[in-house]
Amino acid sequence: MGNIIKKLVIGLVVGGALFLLSRWQEFPFVFQVVFFGHAMFGAAVFMLLDAPSVRTMGAVKSTIAIVVFYVVLCTVFVAGASMWPQFDPEDEKGKIAKLLAPKRAATEQGKAEELIARTKALDEQVKALEVRLRTLGADQPVAKQMPVGGAPPVVAKAPTGDFTKIGEEQWQLHECYNCHKLKGEGGKKRGPELDNIGSYLTAAEIKQKIFNPKSYMAEGFEKEWEKGKMPDKFKDVMEDSDAMALATWLSTFKNTSVNTPKPIKKL
Amino acid sequence: MMKTWQRSLVTICAFLALFGGVAYAQTSDTPPVDFSYTGNRTAVWIVAQLHTLFGAFVLGAPIFIVISEWLGYRKQDLRYDRLAKEVTKVTVILFSMTALTGGLFIFVLLAAYPQFTTWFINQFYLVFAVFYPLLFISGAIVLYTYFYMWDAWKGEKKGRHIALGVFLNLIGMTLLFVIDGPTSFMNTPVKAEGLSPQDLLATATLWDKIANQTWMPLNLHRIDGNVAFGGFVTGLIGAYMYMGAKSQEERAYYDWMGFSGNLIAVGATLFQPFTGLLLAYEMCDYDFSFCPYMMGDQLSMFFEMQGAMIGLMFLAINYYVWLSLKRIEGVEKVRITILAPVVMVAFPFVMMVVMNYYWIPDPMSLAFLLPLALSPFLGRFIPFTVSARTVIKIGFLMVLVGDAIWLTPHGFAATGAKMAAEVELPEAWNFLGTMPAKLSAMFTLVFVTVVNYFLYNRAIKRGTILWGKIDFTSQFVLIFLAFVSIWTMGLMGAVRSLVRKYFHTYNLIPDFSAESFTPTLSYSAWWITGITVMFFTVVSFAVIVSLRPSESKGHIPEGSPVPARAK
Repeated sequence: MGNIIKKLVIGLVVGGALFLLSRWQEFPFVFQVVFFGHAMFGAAVFMLLDAPSVRTMGAVKSTIAIVVFYVVLCTVFVAGASMWPQFDPEDEKGKIAKLLAPKRAATEQGKAEELIARTKALDEQVKALEVRLRTLGADQPVAKQMPVGGAPPVVAKAPTGDFTKIGEEQWQLHECYNCHKLKGEGGKKRGPELDNIGSYLTAAEIKQKIFNPKSYMAEGFEKEWEKGKMPDKFKDVMEDSDAMALATWLSTFKNTSVNTPKPIKKL
Repeated sequence: MMKTWQRSLVTICAFLALFGGVAYAQTSDTPPVDFSYTGNRTAVWIVAQLHTLFGAFVLGAPIFIVISEWLGYRKQDLRYDRLAKEVTKVTVILFSMTALTGGLFIFVLLAAYPQFTTWFINQFYLVFAVFYPLLFISGAIVLYTYFYMWDAWKGEKKGRHIALGVFLNLIGMTLLFVIDGPTSFMNTPVKAEGLSPQDLLATATLWDKIANQTWMPLNLHRIDGNVAFGGFVTGLIGAYMYMGAKSQEERAYYDWMGFSGNLIAVGATLFQPFTGLLLAYEMCDYDFSFCPYMMGDQLSMFFEMQGAMIGLMFLAINYYVWLSLKRIEGVEKVRITILAPVVMVAFPFVMMVVMNYYWIPDPMSLAFLLPLALSPFLGRFIPFTVSARTVIKIGFLMVLVGDAIWLTPHGFAATGAKMAAEVELPEAWNFLGTMPAKLSAMFTLVFVTVVNYFLYNRAIKRGTILWGKIDFTSQFVLIFLAFVSIWTMGLMGAVRSLVRKYFHTYNLIPDFSAESFTPTLSYSAWWITGITVMFFTVVSFAVIVSLRPSESKGHIPEGSPVPARAK
């Protein structure tokens, strides 16, 4: 018992000191608690080191002890894993669906699915028209409500000139923010901040850089360029129009107050 | 014990499932089957992970079985021969389970993802239709021959038996190298500048596909991991048998068995972080977006959990050494140079600074690392010494410090995108979340463990081991180590598969199913725990059926029980 109390006191003192020290160093509260937790866990380890020996058990007692031990382990491991911050898959699902849409459409199954979707949309439009006709009354001439010369366009596409929307969406979908900072968000210093990229490169040049990362090197990022840290997969996973939209959107960023490193042409 | 015909039947069923499945997949436009409750992805995950666990043991265990047999022959110590034979008994049963889960794996894969599986089999047709089955059948024949010829080939013929064991390992190693080809290909398919993956694949040979960027790192990581895994499972077998032992002699033998299995496992585990790092390095080199996805974003908390597991594993490894030392008479007289604890304390901090400037394997980083690592030997010229007990306690303190460094993230957020200031490290302390800090922690854990075993070695030279007198808690430590190592394998296996994101084969074959998202750590932990429990249940059953009856029949054990005071 003396051993436990002694270790507990030491644990509390060390934990308290770590808590206060990290508070003084302006660590967020969660870190302060975790550091305190480390100290208490350490105290438990040292209690175990000096604990008295356990005597040999019989086979039956051992079997029961093993089963209980497994139950405890399973509970602790699952609970432990559940205590960490959890990634929300919903954040990803929409993105993946959008990213894979062109690839799916290119497959035979995708084409069939698109045809079914178009048929369904047409069917719904016809039904909507019928309802509208009924509400307008039977005296209205039907011909006026129906477009002449075949079905109207079914799939509403984004206007081709809407680069801002598509470009920003591509930025999010391909998670460019993981490496590049833009508008003060994202970036882990893995890649250059891009708020002033429009002052250095045209949309076509940015697109060239996206499709061929070796084509330009940002000043101060020689090591990253040498190691090829920017993935060279975008030419394979992005549609040409999407890459152009992203490049055009990026080329509108001309914030000279941000120190975007100068790109040097390499190829 | 399972009869030979029963094992053969299981193997035949597995191959029927395999070939039947391949034939089924050749039918075009086969609709996928929906696995209720688990979903298709998790169904594949469960069977694949179980197959990997059984396969890892079956490939890893023979490596030290044959080493143990050779040691027994060379030292004329029957304990080694008995250990080798008992582990082989369990391996033979688990080999059948490997075949069964392998057949089930391909069957579930074909049912859940028929189009992808057909494409994949066509890409590696020779591997799946010729090499793999051929090697598997050869492995089965050699393993059964090795087991059944144990008593026939002894004495003068022992060399022949050991040679057969070496041959078995060669087959196992080749099998591992062959199957790692398609496995690593799914993560890092062959690519070349200026060519689309599809165009390149059309011209790539089978060898190009197998020898992809992560093939060799995966081979190394798995060979090392399999030996460690086999060792931990041997420790588990030793613990079970120790707990069930009825005499002091039996307890002495199984105490020795548990220690030996664990020693081999620890030796291999010391290399695991480094081979794992090499694999991660090659993955990041292949496509840098793997790196932030693993370490900074969706899977970052999986790595926090991995840090916790590795920390627990090293604590348990060193706790077992502590308990083992307590059963050595005369250990209190053992001392070591003062340089060892001084370096232990300085190690994480010095290496953190050094690796900020010189990255491994830069010669300058080694210039700092080597003198530190060799300090226990260099310190013999310094007259000041410290007791073993004090050094081990300082070691525990540093393992805790190392764990704390390893577990300190950039911030407590599931993705970098959601990192808010109130959960992020202060700017001045950002270095704690960087790779140099993690590497320094890794080196500290390894260094402390090596020093502790160095002390153990010194203790057994000066004292006497009382085999069978170990603290009973140690047997739970062995069980814990096996559990943690299997759980960690499951976790890291999930990470390796998940880095493919929404692709079956990265950048080549997209996964259009609704399940191609990153699951939560909590969800993954449930399944990893479930798979670990399933594996443990089968292994426990295998140990009971293969090792217990020999006692009940009054069978004389092969190896002479170890004297309680033997070294």
